[in-house]
Amino acid sequence: MPRLILSPRLAASRRFTFLVLLGGILAGLVVSGGFLLTQGMGLSDLASQFVGYTFGNPAGLDQTLTRSIPLILVGLSVAVCLKVKFWNIGVEGQLWAGAMAATAVSLYHIGPEAVRLWVMCVAAMLGGGLWCGVCALARVRLRANEVVTTLLMNYVAYMLAQQLLYGAWRNPQDSFPVSKVFAPGETLALLGFGHVHAGIFFSLGAALFCWWLCGFARVGYMAKAVAANPAAARAVGVPAGAVVLLMATLGGALSGLAGFTIVCGEEHRLTQFVGNDFIFPSIVIAYLARSNPLGVVVAAIAIAALYTAGDSLKAFYQLPGATVLTIEAILLLCVCCAEFWLRYQLGWAKSTKVAP
Amino acid sequence: MMELFTAWVGSIPAFAAPFLLATAGLIINERAGVMNLGAEGVMAMAAVTSVLMEMAGHGTALALLSGIGAGLGLAAIFGIMAVFLRVDQVLAGLVAFALGIGVSGFLGDGSENQTVNGISPPPGSDFAFLPKLLAGVLDQDWLTWFAFFAAIAVWFIIERTDLGLRLRAVGEDAPAADAAGVNVALYRFGAVLAGGVLCAIAGAHLSLVGAHIWVDGMVAGRGWIAVAMVTLSRWNALRAIAAALLFGAIQALVPQLLSSGMNVPVYFIQMSPYLATLAYLLIAGLFAKGADAQPADLGRPYLREERR
Repeated sequence: MPRLILSPRLAASRRFTFLVLLGGILAGLVVSGGFLLTQGMGLSDLASQFVGYTFGNPAGLDQTLTRSIPLILVGLSVAVCLKVKFWNIGVEGQLWAGAMAATAVSLYHIGPEAVRLWVMCVAAMLGGGLWCGVCALARVRLRANEVVTTLLMNYVAYMLAQQLLYGAWRNPQDSFPVSKVFAPGETLALLGFGHVHAGIFFSLGAALFCWWLCGFARVGYMAKAVAANPAAARAVGVPAGAVVLLMATLGGALSGLAGFTIVCGEEHRLTQFVGNDFIFPSIVIAYLARSNPLGVVVAAIAIAALYTAGDSLKAFYQLPGATVLTIEAILLLCVCCAEFWLRYQLGWAKSTKVAP
Repeated sequence: MMELFTAWVGSIPAFAAPFLLATAGLIINERAGVMNLGAEGVMAMAAVTSVLMEMAGHGTALALLSGIGAGLGLAAIFGIMAVFLRVDQVLAGLVAFALGIGVSGFLGDGSENQTVNGISPPPGSDFAFLPKLLAGVLDQDWLTWFAFFAAIAVWFIIERTDLGLRLRAVGEDAPAADAAGVNVALYRFGAVLAGGVLCAIAGAHLSLVGAHIWVDGMVAGRGWIAVAMVTLSRWNALRAIAAALLFGAIQALVPQLLSSGMNVPVYFIQMSPYLATLAYLLIAGLFAKGADAQPADLGRPYLREERR
């Protein structure tokens, strides 16, 4: 009797890969659109919200670009870590750590005023890098599962920030749980287009740097070897542990930088809403971009547009705040399931003749 | 001071129960080699569904059952992705998390903050003859009692039965289990569903016993904590009781401290169980203790035709 068997696909052509991924994204969009139609939206409403408002309107475009600045950085963070098969579920904690480090530099007046902004930037990267680096060290030296450690470090950073905001850093003037507003020299300049600030250069620069690092530098090449087969990489002399540690610390630093762009570019102080809702978007962005740093920029802008559309859906159609998360989940679900066909193939089992 | 202490100790089991149920469910998952990060989403689905059913006047039993059904549906989606389509388990779990939180937000939209009867401890104390402190601990509603018995049952089934042996074999060495005639995919999918039921009951406990309402975001990271607690309890459902009591005790302490008006660093206290779990992970790694407790095939999809 013929039997269906599942077997690994040894190689998928570029064209097939592209078609499968495109199919996954389109399926995700169709399912999400259908879901929104059941929530009482018309087709023309969908088009006007998602295309017209997010890209065709200066206010929408401004919101999208501003939101994409930290999203690019956290997406890069997950993507860089994935290059060595390190699951970074802790971008929020690293972002909080970066934001707190930058705020500490401002509050305690560390470094000369002329370069204060750069000191804040470096401090944020150190904070984020430390937050992820300890998890990488624990994985490399102690074989601690990084999914659990990076996850736990989110809560540690969040609680620490709350403790500071309700304690030592509370605004002395009105005793709201926010830090003092930064001095003018400690903020990122606006670029003259709505709220878009100079942080966008940090994001794009980071994307270019990661693209170079992963594609052209020796470390990137070693990372590929470690991801493909750690034991073989170690056997040919690649310092596998050091590579994982380096890439994961870099990933953490990128999330810390995202915290820096939020406190210095958008909020101009530490607030309670600095590090909310970044974990899942960062994973979606890195995955849709297939961990390609330049692809992350495109994916992050697309997801930022989704948030812009989500805000207006909330305002004009009274859809709940969960809309964006649901659409992201449906999109990722469809792309994951489509990818199945890149890795496996279904076929009929051949009847094998046994020699007499 | 004594009053405060008695109230605190008495409230610990109800705080610990959702952690315990979810952790026991995740232990079933992970012993079969499936890491499920979607517990948070499953809990949210169950919490919102059971409150909605109770609000519609279907009674608590049916509310609980439909909550379990909703959680089970999401667990099945996760299981199909992780077990049959062999999507990376971390990714599949995150999808289940986001889908559960997102859809529960839609379902509960407009029904937030409406009180339901839910499940309460029986009026009056059944244990009045005991010292006050002990009676306070034992006077719990039936779902909280169920949580502790469920954890013991999970421990017994995993460690002491043939079914558990096969389950552990699938999680420790899937190729060997397959060679011995155990259907790996079936066992893993079954473990995902069984774990999903327990996570769903945990979610229903939150809304029916704990809050008696639905609020968006009310699971508040408990599903994620359960993921970490599996490590803290070293994949053993009996140790999970101790871990859940630790987290429950800290969670129960915070409202008591806030209402007492004492000036204490509340957030540092809330941070302590996370730090304890991290410290435990590091210490276990230093003495190579955790290494033998973690199922060896955790997170690795299995296909007979695929080279490992």
